[in-house]
Amino acid sequence: MPLVRTGPPDPDVATKLADRGYEVLVAELWNTDSRIRRAAVRDLAELPAGAPGHAMALCDRLDVETSPSVRSAIMARLILLGTPDVAERLTDHLHSDDAQLRNVAIEALQEMPQAVAPLLDRLLDDEDSDVRIFAVNILAALCLEQAPERLAAVIRTDPHVNVCVAALDGLVEVGGIDMISDIENLGARFAENAFMRFAVDTAIRRIRGA
Amino acid sequence: MTTALPVAKLATPALAMTNEEYAKFCEFFYRKTGIQFVDSKKYYVERRVADRIAKTNSGSFRDYFTLVRFQMSGQEMQSLVNAMTVNETYFFREDYQFDSLVKGILPEIARTKPRGKPIRIWSMPCSSGEEPYSIAIKILELWSSSDAWDIEIHASDIDTKILDEARAGIYGERSLSRVPLATKRQYFVRRPDGNHQISAALRNSIDFSLVNIVDPLQTRRFRDFDVIFCRNLLIYFDDPGRREAAEMFFEALAPGGFLCLGHSESMSRISSIFAPRKFQDSIVYQKPFAAE
Repeated sequence: MPLVRTGPPDPDVATKLADRGYEVLVAELWNTDSRIRRAAVRDLAELPAGAPGHAMALCDRLDVETSPSVRSAIMARLILLGTPDVAERLTDHLHSDDAQLRNVAIEALQEMPQAVAPLLDRLLDDEDSDVRIFAVNILAALCLEQAPERLAAVIRTDPHVNVCVAALDGLVEVGGIDMISDIENLGARFAENAFMRFAVDTAIRRIRGA
Repeated sequence: MTTALPVAKLATPALAMTNEEYAKFCEFFYRKTGIQFVDSKKYYVERRVADRIAKTNSGSFRDYFTLVRFQMSGQEMQSLVNAMTVNETYFFREDYQFDSLVKGILPEIARTKPRGKPIRIWSMPCSSGEEPYSIAIKILELWSSSDAWDIEIHASDIDTKILDEARAGIYGERSLSRVPLATKRQYFVRRPDGNHQISAALRNSIDFSLVNIVDPLQTRRFRDFDVIFCRNLLIYFDDPGRREAAEMFFEALAPGGFLCLGHSESMSRISSIFAPRKFQDSIVYQKPFAAE
């Protein structure tokens, strides 16, 4: 029979792999081999809690990292950490020209509601409308009680049609009846825009649930 | 294993959801879980949502949706997922994926893998063993090149009791309902109590081991797998948990290795580090050969 049994994997492998210290692992984050960098990210996560600086070390590496698999490993760790300083560093990438990095930063920020909440006002006021759209995308996905009202504030005040459409899209899911007048006013504000008229009608119908 | 198609009626009175509420709910549930309900499932969805509304003392669909959508702990979301899915396992469940294994995935691995190295397959969570034994039988029955290779099948679960059941390999008629008679005769032994036991040779060919998927110290000893089956588990994880699991699979797979998820699960919604591949009727996820 071709099926062979070799016994379970060696339990000692864990200890053999995990005996490198903090300084060594941080240095390995800058190794030229992406496999070593990725292993360093994973092993840093398993050090005892006495390595508080590793979050910023990971953020430093993320700033220049180009390997998708290393980026992914760093993001998975940063999301689990979810601290305010990590969220602050991730918001820097919303301005990045690298679409993949921008997208993973948005996804990561969506998964750390408490850490990102204090940063949203600044992001929603950013002079770059793309950053405001990303901020709206983050806000719309958060399980924050104040999210509907903040999205409503965006459609009341933001001058950019695409930012408002993004916020309206979020309100389709989380908006309340009391926001329908704001949505109608948005439609009036961009009355010449056919897509906005469609989006407004859809949102009102969905929020009314009828 | 889990299915998203509910099978039993509940005693709770049906909730009348408007079409717009149903659409909103389905879009949200799909975004969170990857499980899609078509219009014809509205009755089933309504019954289960009504049950959760009653159990959470929510006054209306709107109140309940707000609870699920904004609850920070995600506890009610998990209860909702549990209500919408049904745990069941039996031989050759979703066997189109096993067919893809023997007709597409294994032949491709055989073309690229150096001779002399074993082909390694990991089934986890293996529950009471139906999946790893199904994999073994399919390979023996349907992959014509199987004799040319050493094939290791590892099977893991977090539950020691269920692992003991898997090692014993004793099953009732319900588990075997999709097993052809000839296959039953070849790989099972009928017991005096009417149950069937997997043959000793097959039982002894699979390595069963205890592992907690979210414990990196336990999973890091699982390496160099060519194929991993992890079906209908990730829907029970939250987003960070799914992402961590994806990282673990990436580590556990050999370059070019394949990950098989359940029919309602999609790695594309979790992580972009795998490449989706289609084999026959299955979408599976491949670790790049040159993992950058």
